[in-house]
Amino acid sequence: MSCNASVTRLHLSSLRRADKAPVHLMPCEIEHDGLAQVSQYFTATTKQDKKEKTVSFRGRGLKGQEISCPQGYTGLVLKEVDRHGSDQEDRTVKVTSVFDKLTYWNLETPPTSDDTVVMAMDWPELAEAVSRVWSSP
Amino acid sequence: MATKKKRTPNAQNDSWVVIAADSVTDTQKQDCDPDFVRLRNPSTDEASLYMLGSGDGQLYEVKAFEEDFHSWFVGQTVQRDGKLLFVTQMDPLYLILPYMIKSGREGKFQPVDQVVKDEDFPESSRLLRCTRSLTSLHHIAEEKEVAGTKFHRYSEERTLNWLKKKVERTVVALKKKNICVGEGVKSTTYVRVKSESDNQEEDYLRYAHGLISEYISEELSKALLKHLGLPELKSPKEAEPPSKKRKLSDKPVEAGEDYTKFNGADFARKPPKKMTAAQKSLAKVDKTGMKPMSSFFSPKTKAEKK
Repeated sequence: MSCNASVTRLHLSSLRRADKAPVHLMPCEIEHDGLAQVSQYFTATTKQDKKEKTVSFRGRGLKGQEISCPQGYTGLVLKEVDRHGSDQEDRTVKVTSVFDKLTYWNLETPPTSDDTVVMAMDWPELAEAVSRVWSSP
Repeated sequence: MATKKKRTPNAQNDSWVVIAADSVTDTQKQDCDPDFVRLRNPSTDEASLYMLGSGDGQLYEVKAFEEDFHSWFVGQTVQRDGKLLFVTQMDPLYLILPYMIKSGREGKFQPVDQVVKDEDFPESSRLLRCTRSLTSLHHIAEEKEVAGTKFHRYSEERTLNWLKKKVERTVVALKKKNICVGEGVKSTTYVRVKSESDNQEEDYLRYAHGLISEYISEELSKALLKHLGLPELKSPKEAEPPSKKRKLSDKPVEAGEDYTKFNGADFARKPPKKMTAAQKSLAKVDKTGMKPMSSFFSPKTKAEKK
C-alpha cells in the first residue's frame, strides 16, 4: 500500500479542552522542544510603548508587535497524539491551544506592515480569489 | 536530500502552529473530524498535503510560511519549528483537472468516478464527494447525460475560460489588498509604492497568472497565458518576480513520508540569487523583515526544483 494512503485525523473534540495560549514568533532558532519559563524570563521583561513591544532576549534587542489572525480564521496549535506504530498507520493530531493573535519579533528592526509575516496574513483573503470555489455557478 | 545546512535533525517535531479557516473547526457543521490527506499536486505532479473536512464536503490546501531561524513560544513551551501553516479553502476542480485532462486524451465521454482514480493516491476519490465537485464539472468538461448517468469529457476551451475568470478575480483581490506587483516591489526600500507604469494592468495579470499557475500544469499555464493575450516573456529568469531571489517560497506543502517532514522540500534553502547591493545591505541588517509579499506568494518556477 502506498504511504499516500495514510491520513492524519484532526480530533475536533480536543478543541473544548484547548487553552488560549500567548504565541510568539521568535527571530531565532531555539534548538529545543518543550517546556520553558517563557512568562518568567520573556513576557515579564517585555515592554510595550505606543508603537511596538521591546524585549531583550539573549542580549539582543527585539522589537515586535501583535497581529491578529485574518477574519474568519483561527490560530491552532496542533500536537500529535500517541505516536507509535509504523509510518503506514493513520495518525491523529489534537488541538492543544488556540489563539486569535500572535506576537512576532524582529531582531533590532521596528515592526512594519511590510514584514513578511504581516504580509503572510494577506494570504487567506487572496486564496479565496485564487483557489476557493466560487459561490456562484 | 533536503536537510537544512548545519542543523541537527528535527525529527522529534510533533507540533504545528496553524492558521485555519473557521469552517475547519466548526463543530456545528462538522459531522466528522477533518483529515490531512496526501493528494497529487496538480502543478508538481507530486504529493502535497491537503485537508478534507465536513465529511469530505470541503477541500482545503495547506501552505507553509517559513523563514530560516525562527521558533515559536506557545504558552510556556518552546517549539523549535518556526513554520506557520495556513489552511484555506480550495476548489477541488484544480485537483480533478489533471485526471480529466488525462482521460480526455482518449476523446471519450466517461463517468467521472472512473476518471478520478489514482493508485498512488487512493484518497483522490474523496474529491468527488466535495460539495461542489460534481455540480461544477461543467467548468472544465463537456457533459452528457445518458439514462440518468452523467458522462464527462475534458474541454480545454471551458477550462481556459474558467481559469481566466479565476485570474480576473485574483487581480481584483490583489488590487483590493494593495499588494505590490511588478516593478513597484523592486525598490531599495520595499515600501509599497504605486507604480505609474502603463503596464500595471499587465503586471497584475501576470502576477495573478503566476498565482493560478501553481494549481495547474506547466502546459496549461502556457495556454492560459496565451488565452489572456499575454506574450511569453523571452527570459523567464528576468521575468521572475523579486521573490525568486529571496529565500522564501510558497511552495505547496509537500507531504513527506513522515508527518514531521510536513514541508518536505527545501523551503528556505535557496540562496538569494542576484541581489542588488541595496538588497544585500538590507539583508544584512535584518533577515526577517522587508521582503515583498511576492517572496512567498508568487509563482514558483519549476526549474528551481531540485
